Amino acid sequence: MAAKHKIKNLAERKYQKVYTSDPLATVSPETREKIGQLENYLMKHCLWQFNSRGWDRRKQNAGILGQTAQLLCDEEVNITSPLDKCYWVDAVMLNRAYRELFPWITEMPKEDVKALMRLLNARLDWTLIDGSLNLELTVVNY
Amino acid sequence: MPYHEFECSKVIPERREHAVIKGKGEDLTSCLPKGYLNTIPGTISERGCAYCGAKHVIGTPMKDVIHISHGPVGCTYDTWQTKRYISDNDNFQLKYTFATDVKEKHIVFGAEKLLKQNIIEAFKAFPGTKRMTIYQTCATALIGDDANAIAEEVMEELPDVDIFVCNSPGFGGPSQSGGHHKINIAWINQKVGTLEPEITSDYVINYVGEYNIQGDQEVMLDFFKRMGIQVLSTFTGNGSYDDLRGMHRAHLNVLECARSAEYICDELRDRYGIPRLDIDGFGFKALGDSLRKIGLFFGIEDRAEKIIAEETAKWQPQLDWYKERLKGKRICLWPGGSKLWHWAHAIQEEMGVKVVSVYTKFGHQGDMEKGVSRCGEGALAIDDPNELEGLEALEMLKPHCIFTGKRPGEMAKKVNVPYLNAHAYHNGPWKGFEGWVRFARDIYNAIYSPIHELSLIDISKDEIQSDHSFLTRRMLSDKELPEEIKASTELSEYTGNYDVIAGLRNKTYPEFPRTSANMPKDAA
Repeated sequence: MAAKHKIKNLAERKYQKVYTSDPLATVSPETREKIGQLENYLMKHCLWQFNSRGWDRRKQNAGILGQTAQLLCDEEVNITSPLDKCYWVDAVMLNRAYRELFPWITEMPKEDVKALMRLLNARLDWTLIDGSLNLELTVVNY
Repeated sequence: MPYHEFECSKVIPERREHAVIKGKGEDLTSCLPKGYLNTIPGTISERGCAYCGAKHVIGTPMKDVIHISHGPVGCTYDTWQTKRYISDNDNFQLKYTFATDVKEKHIVFGAEKLLKQNIIEAFKAFPGTKRMTIYQTCATALIGDDANAIAEEVMEELPDVDIFVCNSPGFGGPSQSGGHHKINIAWINQKVGTLEPEITSDYVINYVGEYNIQGDQEVMLDFFKRMGIQVLSTFTGNGSYDDLRGMHRAHLNVLECARSAEYICDELRDRYGIPRLDIDGFGFKALGDSLRKIGLFFGIEDRAEKIIAEETAKWQPQLDWYKERLKGKRICLWPGGSKLWHWAHAIQEEMGVKVVSVYTKFGHQGDMEKGVSRCGEGALAIDDPNELEGLEALEMLKPHCIFTGKRPGEMAKKVNVPYLNAHAYHNGPWKGFEGWVRFARDIYNAIYSPIHELSLIDISKDEIQSDHSFLTRRMLSDKELPEEIKASTELSEYTGNYDVIAGLRNKTYPEFPRTSANMPKDAA
């Protein structure tokens, strides 16, 4: 028989706002320019950031961008589940593209790269979740 | 907010928030049309209904199934399989369509007996087909016919048959997208996990959200087979009913068409832990990256790279031939749903055209998010337009070509805009490296057909030039090209065959030895 389904983590799926304004609003023009380049690439070429629900997007953004930051800093990535492996695949693709298209990122100190990627994560969370005009993002179920 | 108000819709102020023009610096916090809301009462819409979405779009590409509509015969006619989702079993699902032909008397007295009689008759008429999908319609849902109970009765009487019931009457959602959702969830609730498939490879995927328009699925299947990947099921183009019951055994769900099929993908992730990887079969870069991603996941990226290198070497010069001739042409990208974002950036990058407008008839705001992100500044995005808005947009944008469905396509032809069928294609498949060149060829043929030279002339009164003979498309397209491009021996027009699918069906593939160690090496 087909599996009976129960949503295990309903609480996690309830919409919780993290950002109330654009996290780039107070950063320097240079940082904004860099984030803009990274953001533009993934808006044009990637699909993973557009999952249909806000809670799902939040996990995707953190998972993939977190691993991308590790790869950009030449750190090993720990894969413990098939879902991690999917994040890793998209992170590898992003790592390669960023290194090729934006060589300045390879010359930055590792801590700065991590900070930049955290800011990119915040910017995506704002644009695609907390500041988004998409009315369906707060739906708990798929 | 960069809302765009159509002149023709000024009397419907609610429509004002269903169209935007992307301005400088605009992002998704300021530039996104409303979408997937109930159609505004009294306005005209081009949407399909939820029954159409379930049956026509998702269900009927399943190839070895009697698809029967429980309702008036007109419902079936309107969802007759016109999208050209072909199959490798002699197109059974394209040749036949079934309905219970409900009349007024059945609405009064009930149609359950009629349904049972029809099911048994259909199985008798096609004794080689043992699988069936029953689609509920508005009429029989409103009178409360219990299709599930009838299906159970029949399955008890005929133990060798299996029946799936899809309760997605036309009123079941704001548009056909509601039907996509319902059939996805119904399938995973009723059928997934009821059959154990045979696993023949270390690398097993479900290919989700692929409908085999003109053979798209078979093109992609060729790449997967060349990589030694077992495609357990395709949801649902050229897909087999029993294969789709075994979806729970895949290692990876490869999703192509959010959001007509992302529901089942996400539920498979939630219920069975199968991860979801989004891919794209259109465009050299997107397709190459997709094959690389699947290769990376399984630790067989070298197999993907080999295919990408071979295909790119063969087809890039032909794509570039068209790119040189399509540069700067303005395109309206008006499909029903997902292709607005599948194609928006790729055709601009790889064919040199400019997408000046996207629209969707049933897409959600999530579809528009991707489309708006991938378009450039100045693009007009419209949700659920009516015919007058479409005409007004064409007059404003003056595109060289429009990619859309038959109804808006015919309208566009009247204002001298050539159209390509974005749903059923013109001369597809358009997926794959070769398919992408075929798409470019079809765009080129649409834009440069000499017929447009005459199409706006009123032959009853307008002067027809008689001082020159017939122009060829090449004379039109090459007029302002540099000599080195015109004379290039490296670039060439499309050289493939008209039928690229038949040859794939008897192809032999390399056998890869099975191993359990398929974790990627780069991972710790």
